[in-house]
Amino acid sequence: MKPAPLQETETPNADRTILRVENLGKNYGGVVALRDVDLSIRAGTIHGLLGENGAGKSTLVGIMSGQRQPSSGTIYLDEQPLHHVDVQAMEEAGVFLVTQEPMIIDHLSAAENLMLGIWPKRRFGFVNWGKLRSDAERMLEGTGIPSETRAGLLDAVARRKINILRAMFSGGKVIILDEPTAALTVDDRAQLFDFMRRLKSEGVTFIFISHFNDEILEICDAVSVLRDGQYAGGSEDVGGMTSEDLSELVLGRGLVLFERKRPVFEPSTPAIELRNIRSAKVDLPELRIRSGEVLGITGLPGGGGKELARVLFGLEPGRSGTIRFPDGEERELPEHPSEAFAAGIAYLSDDRRKDGSIAQMSIAHNISLSAEVALASGAFLKPEQERALSERYFGSLGIKAPDSGVAVDTLSGGNQQKVCLGRVLATEPKLLMLDEPTRGIDVGVKQDVLRIVDELSRTGVSVIIISTDTDELVRAVDRVLIFQGGRVREELAGENITRSKLRDLG
Amino acid sequence: MSDTAMTTSATKPGSPGRKTTATGWILHNVVWIWLIALVVIFGMFNEYFFTIFNLQNIMVQATVLGIMALAMALPLLVAEIDLSIPANVGFSAAIGALCNTDLGMPFGIAALIGIAAATLIGFFNAVCITKLKMVSLIQTLSMMIILQGALLALTQGRTITSLSSGYVWIGQETIGGWPVMPIVFLLAIVGMAILLRNTVLGRSIYAVGGNAVASNSAGIRVDRVKILAYSISGFLAGVAGYLLASWQMAITSNQGASYLLYAIAAPIIGGVSVFGGRGSVIGVLGGVLLLTVIQVGLAIISVPSFYVGMIGGIMIFIAVGIDAIRVRYFG
Ligand SMILES: Nc1ncnc2c1ncn2[C@@H]1O[C@H](COP(=O)(O)OP(=O)(O)O)[C@@H](O)[C@H]1O
Ligand SMILES: [Mg+2]
Repeated sequence: MKPAPLQETETPNADRTILRVENLGKNYGGVVALRDVDLSIRAGTIHGLLGENGAGKSTLVGIMSGQRQPSSGTIYLDEQPLHHVDVQAMEEAGVFLVTQEPMIIDHLSAAENLMLGIWPKRRFGFVNWGKLRSDAERMLEGTGIPSETRAGLLDAVARRKINILRAMFSGGKVIILDEPTAALTVDDRAQLFDFMRRLKSEGVTFIFISHFNDEILEICDAVSVLRDGQYAGGSEDVGGMTSEDLSELVLGRGLVLFERKRPVFEPSTPAIELRNIRSAKVDLPELRIRSGEVLGITGLPGGGGKELARVLFGLEPGRSGTIRFPDGEERELPEHPSEAFAAGIAYLSDDRRKDGSIAQMSIAHNISLSAEVALASGAFLKPEQERALSERYFGSLGIKAPDSGVAVDTLSGGNQQKVCLGRVLATEPKLLMLDEPTRGIDVGVKQDVLRIVDELSRTGVSVIIISTDTDELVRAVDRVLIFQGGRVREELAGENITRSKLRDLG
Repeated sequence: MSDTAMTTSATKPGSPGRKTTATGWILHNVVWIWLIALVVIFGMFNEYFFTIFNLQNIMVQATVLGIMALAMALPLLVAEIDLSIPANVGFSAAIGALCNTDLGMPFGIAALIGIAAATLIGFFNAVCITKLKMVSLIQTLSMMIILQGALLALTQGRTITSLSSGYVWIGQETIGGWPVMPIVFLLAIVGMAILLRNTVLGRSIYAVGGNAVASNSAGIRVDRVKILAYSISGFLAGVAGYLLASWQMAITSNQGASYLLYAIAAPIIGGVSVFGGRGSVIGVLGGVLLLTVIQVGLAIISVPSFYVGMIGGIMIFIAVGIDAIRVRYFG
């Protein structure tokens, strides 16, 4: 049965329910992802959807948008029950989903990806290429994304933006955004919110998933919370709620925000010394990172922080420079990640899908992969070592899964991130570099990750956190370097790391 | 680190594990069920199918196809392909045989030279694919044409039949009436299973096939893994070539060519993913036995030869179709 196109609402009637689910259930094999969920979305509102990683948010909106089929229950669009609808039918009816992971066809241009399925048509269904290009150009204005570039060559942020823009310009009546801000800069986010408010005033309804309480409080009218696949509560009036209220609803308990007790470093504290690090995008004469220090690096994308980490890890060609560990000789930078791991340098990319885990391999094999393969001391795998590593990190990181034998691609985003984290921790690095380690992770798990980093640093490990999350920098690092044009532009330490200073400098 | 008290909501007591439904089980083992069903059906048509002699026949036939299918599985597992394997089988066998007959080398050395040539060709393919960034489908297709042409040139269009008795021993010898050739297949299966399950290289092969970019960042030297996978694959092709020549006691001017589609179909029917990173030796074995039983069975129940190709194709189609349903519903 095809859903009818949504009717135009002349007067935005705030009490009209536009999208509703009833007794919704979803199983993946034996895993119950959703159980008896009832939820109504009022027309013309921005409806926040919250929940821990793995709570079932992506699954719920996937079903609402026709991308996944429910195991039980009914979806109503404009109070009409729907059966077996697919994405195309829902988009024709005006419901658009921006998925959590970028959905991009690599070999098409940015413009073509932007207009995918919403091509301007000529008669007989031919695509109007001229209009497609000019429309795309207009939509991409000010985003810095070149419209003719092959999408495969764009970075994660740009790919994400294309998906968001596509939905925003689609003319849809209901737009669902699954963690859209996880990969955006502060400016992009402000732009997105302006855009959402404008569309809302034109009668568009939004479902907005985010782990950031302040975002929910800023933009949402109503909020619903999922916990372990069930509806855990919500409010039709977000105005009267605080961040603590939200966290408590999400976690089912009060949240204690992590706050690092900054250690006092003596001048004699040993340090890792970097010298004359040069590459196409980095120019760093000298940098010392003390043992046990947590160093934050921030700045605009392309500023050099991420690039520095990749250079140190042996991922960027055409580099030069040296590194010296407190107990070792000065040596050239590693040529390949395997050399980096062997030298005690570990790096975790911010793009876990493309560059973090092997999706169809089990959790256990992913966790032990780098320790077993990059640091292998013989031709054969060591089953006891493998079991010990996977048990240790599967347990201590609190990965939500039936057991460590399940494939990583069945996990929710935050749990995938934990598996990746487990993999680099298992190599027992002396210098650990984490690129946006808490992006797309719920508040509870975020505290866990920061706590793990904190404890690791107390064993003498030096940690670099590359982050654009101000909150994280203020609470979890000892020193912040602000990068620009491949150089350190500014440095803040200890009590000087404050939200306002970071905002002014960033 | 390990004693960190983390959120322990991870494993709720009594949370249901993965349900193993009956349909799921059937679909997961479809190759083997289909195999047994066909054995029974062919046996009902002709009781000769159940004789020891026929069993031996199937084992011998499965040996050559099986080793080729294992060779084919390796490039597939690293998310590449090698179409030149069957041509390599014929070409390397001719090299070995000519060393034996024309250059008068001892048969053992000659056979090893043939296998070494095959290994080198696999190695060369991988260097082209990894270092020169050639597309494996096209690169190995051109290699296939080159090797087929080279075999024709080497044999001048004739069939090499003057193989020494030592050279053909492995393909002809029997112990207590049982051919020895399948022992080589057994060794290849065990060796490959150990490689894939228990070695660092095996784990790397799955990782590279699953996600090459992430594998590189995880500290795996992706190019090296692909080159090793292709070289081992070439080695297996060489072994298959030697066995085929010594079993048939001849090398025709298009030796091996007829195996191409079956060598690709067998691993895929057995669950090796064309997208890389998935598949097992047991699955390949199932695919090989299924194809061999279809071939032998159709011959035995004397289906007119005009229909053999079509019926065999339909049976393979059904197997692949059921497998597609399995992947769709059970991942
Ligand atoms: N394709 C899948 N196969 C098996 N399990 C899945 C799949 N997708 C999600 N799940 C499971 O369903 C649950 C909910 O996941 P998800 O909807 O992605 O959560 P969220 O978006 O709230 O983080 C998790 O336990 C996850 O492991
Ligand atoms: Mg999600």
